[in-house]
Amino acid sequence: MSEPSNEQTLRRSPLHDRHRVLGAKTAPFGGWEMPLEYAGGGVLKEHAAVRESVGVFDVSHLGTLRVHGPGARSHVDSCLTNALDRINPGQAQYTLACDDEVGGVVDDMIVYLVSDDDLLLVPNAANAAEVARRLRADAPAGVEVVDLHEEQAILAVQGPACDEVLAAVGLPVGHPYMSFEQAELGGAPVVVCRTGYTGERGYELVLPGTSAPELWDRLLEVGARHGIRACGLGARDTLRTEMGYPLHGHELSLDISPVMARTVWAVGWDKPAFWGRDVLVAERAAKAGPLLRGLKAAGRGIPRPGMRVGPGDGTEPVGTVTSGTFSPTLRTGVGLALLDRSVVDGDEVVVEMRGRREAFTVTKPPFVQTAIR
Amino acid sequence: MIPDELYYTPEHEWIRVDSRGEDDGAVVTIGITDFAQDALGDIVYVSLPEPGETLAQGASVGELESTKSVSDLYAPLAGSVLARNEQLDQAPELVNSDPYGEGWLLRIELESETGLSDLLDAQGYQAQVAS
Repeated sequence: MSEPSNEQTLRRSPLHDRHRVLGAKTAPFGGWEMPLEYAGGGVLKEHAAVRESVGVFDVSHLGTLRVHGPGARSHVDSCLTNALDRINPGQAQYTLACDDEVGGVVDDMIVYLVSDDDLLLVPNAANAAEVARRLRADAPAGVEVVDLHEEQAILAVQGPACDEVLAAVGLPVGHPYMSFEQAELGGAPVVVCRTGYTGERGYELVLPGTSAPELWDRLLEVGARHGIRACGLGARDTLRTEMGYPLHGHELSLDISPVMARTVWAVGWDKPAFWGRDVLVAERAAKAGPLLRGLKAAGRGIPRPGMRVGPGDGTEPVGTVTSGTFSPTLRTGVGLALLDRSVVDGDEVVVEMRGRREAFTVTKPPFVQTAIR
Repeated sequence: MIPDELYYTPEHEWIRVDSRGEDDGAVVTIGITDFAQDALGDIVYVSLPEPGETLAQGASVGELESTKSVSDLYAPLAGSVLARNEQLDQAPELVNSDPYGEGWLLRIELESETGLSDLLDAQGYQAQVAS
């Protein structure tokens, strides 16, 4: 049964009325009432549309922060983990905000580098305000952090037919993965970035919320010949889980550091400063603590967050499932789990589920081949 | 969609009486309602008891797993399993597409028919779903 929604306190996307018309089932997500799946669709069909053709997601629950002013780039670089000297203006980067004292992850996000004085950050719904607060607290004079969460909408157009759909509505396409173009549509500015959270080739579009309904309608209209589907957060979760992508609150949290989550590739270790640097450098050197790994079902079990993982011989547990679902592509259970360092890829483990033990193989994600480029 | 001729439980299961008992107990077929399949979303795995197993009324006897969650299947009445819908092993989505037909779950021989009178009729179930 769906969770009860509290209409008083949940925030709504500028596309809320469109979702209602499309018969969306909604669910609270990070303080927002967002579509889980649409009438006539469902997770499996929506998932398949993205893998095989194209789907459009409303992800306006994601935050939008603008950091600007002289030295904006250096400020962000001295706070977030990834090294901004790895990218140039016009490019985007996956990065983390860690807690300076414990090294745990306050949030993960995409940073769009517009210029040295102007950056756009897209953090998660529930953490956007906290990321803004921390960036403001440490900001030098002249650097401003503006929270555009309520004003901006974000649409994700994902799947092999994404270029045709975007080109048909008059947006720029074909730029390299993790780069963006700033376009205009009906007088409204649209940031068109080659990013996504599905493992397919795709774009994420950041635009004013007031312009979002019209673009949403046009995308569905021109995408009809490609079998485009409006896709909900249910399919977004099965798609990202097949890729092994972390979700904050599951694979990343104040208790789960980038070292454990193995997102150390998004840490600029050579930088002189970023939040959590000292504690993370020490944690990385210690080579203790659990690591995030993938699990693939050997039988029919479907792992779910919080389930215990055992070594198979009935002795002490070796970890906990952080995310898990049925993979629509593989038609089997897949998941992510924080496991003791003694466990390595290829090991056989069991997941304890509701009174029985199901066999899984520790498997390096992605579970399904990526096609992001 | 709540067919008139079926019985229902508050747990969103339907019960169809296939034959009234004479020498043997009554035989019923059970499944989950359209409301239940819609609420669960795409069903990807159905776990059911095997023929011959004895079911205690109200006991959790199986699971319906969707992409997003797992739900228990409760025995609506006491009895023994005559058949499970083996088609669902390969095509669990039948529970979504045809919950009252091809998506049936179990055929059960009841211990006694008396429990039938405690079940909801279509009107009673409709009232529950609407509330």
